[in-house]
Amino acid sequence: MKRRIAAVIAALILSAPAAEAYLKLGTRIGDNFVPLHWAAFPIRYFVTNRDAAGVTAPQLQQAVAGALTTWSAVPNVSISSQFVGFTGASPVTGDGMTVIGFQNRPDLDRTLGATSFTIDSVTGEVIESDIFLNSVFPWSVTPGGEAGRQDVESIALHELGHLLGLGHSAIGETELFGGGRRVLGAETVMFPIAFPAGTLNRALRADDIAGLSDIYGNDQFRSSTGSITGRVTKNGAGVLGAHVVAFNPETGKLVGGFSLTADGTFTIAGLDPGLHVLRAEPLDDGDVGSFLNPAQPVDVDFKAALFDRLVAVPRGGTAAAVEVKVTPK
Amino acid sequence: MTSCARQSLLLSVMLAMASPALAQSRAEISGGVTWTGGFDAGGTDATLSRGAAGATPLTLFSTSSRVRPAVGASGRVAFFVTPQLAVEGSLEYSRPSLETAFSNDFEQATGTQATIGIASYLFGGSALYHFGGARLVPFVSAGGGWLRQLDQDRVNVVDGPELHAGGGVKYRLSSSFGLRVEAGVSSREKTVSFEDKRRTVPVVSGGVTYRF
Repeated sequence: MKRRIAAVIAALILSAPAAEAYLKLGTRIGDNFVPLHWAAFPIRYFVTNRDAAGVTAPQLQQAVAGALTTWSAVPNVSISSQFVGFTGASPVTGDGMTVIGFQNRPDLDRTLGATSFTIDSVTGEVIESDIFLNSVFPWSVTPGGEAGRQDVESIALHELGHLLGLGHSAIGETELFGGGRRVLGAETVMFPIAFPAGTLNRALRADDIAGLSDIYGNDQFRSSTGSITGRVTKNGAGVLGAHVVAFNPETGKLVGGFSLTADGTFTIAGLDPGLHVLRAEPLDDGDVGSFLNPAQPVDVDFKAALFDRLVAVPRGGTAAAVEVKVTPK
Repeated sequence: MTSCARQSLLLSVMLAMASPALAQSRAEISGGVTWTGGFDAGGTDATLSRGAAGATPLTLFSTSSRVRPAVGASGRVAFFVTPQLAVEGSLEYSRPSLETAFSNDFEQATGTQATIGIASYLFGGSALYHFGGARLVPFVSAGGGWLRQLDQDRVNVVDGPELHAGGGVKYRLSSSFGLRVEAGVSSREKTVSFEDKRRTVPVVSGGVTYRF
């Protein structure tokens, strides 16, 4: 079969300051969702030989290597990467190389970084992926962070999550600020809005780990974790685009998912066995387009709701299906 | 006379004071109801990082969990080693519920609590010492057991040892039938909860006995 190639450019941006809940990237072939993933490892990547103010290209490469090490340290996942060398090429799609580098993009004044892909749209296999960090913003590689500057490794960790196939997580809360949104709290590195400049976000959370494991996890991961499936309904009808979070009161872990179909069906995988609290909320802490296809009729007209039953997640299996009923605002 | 010898003599005297009725009984079965107290089930709040080092996390919502008291059924078989001393095997079954109450939701989410039923089985063994031989027979007991709890979906199982001690009275209605009431404490190493620690709960039970 001849490969069909699709480029997804700048679809995934990390907004400057202005919470599954992981979401797997993918492409739709007919009625089938094909997850985006790397089929061969190590991922061979180049770094653009271009400095930004305060950060050299070798420093960028070190920060990227640190972020990749963080992702590859996830238990029961086998991913690896290899730095090939510095290149004069910019991080743009179509050249057959995976390139990470700074680009000066004053036109994207709320975008810290973005990830683009060239994929095989039949298999979902990533052929090439490129990440740019916007050198319009002040950057830092200082280990403890630097006031007023974005931490390269933190943002690289987020963008590399996309490169590995993760979409945005919605486990976070925001408030309107300066014509955009400002993050108040987030329990994931894949939240679409970064913490304010000067803060670090270099540690993966339960949601990030569950998301990566769902794509690349081995049999040990499948047999040692479980999942919850169910529907979110309002007045008896399914709710599309609800964000559902599973909370484990024993461990404090938050892992989420989205209802991705018109009947409100959701699945949350990669959960520790045990009892969980379920909470459904509308996607109102960022642009819907940051998470889902904005052309879909995503329903945000309902109140956040806590499910009235604790859900028992089995080891290596799926909990009995639940129905989380929400009410209009 | 050594201390050990004095204790042996005392025990001999107590055994000699046993009533003829007790001495004639070799076994006893009993059944009834058991009330087991509840306890704080632990747990944490759902929080979000604020990014800055040392910053207080943002609370998405708070939880407070508790296993509710439960009434269950119990059955016992006792064999009298001496007129006063009996060894007893027991099985208790109850269905407590684990309740998690919600508060401080950042978005004022609807819903105030979530619950799940628990099937609780306690397999135990005890030693009972009876005092006197009148119609009203006080006794003390102590022993251990194995607690097995499953959630209502029979998905997760918690197993662990249990220790108990208490006392009560038996009231003889006839040469064979009687009533039994007792109270005590049960210390459980593992239970269905959100915190892995030993918990001690009060237990009260009552029922009928049959001697043969």
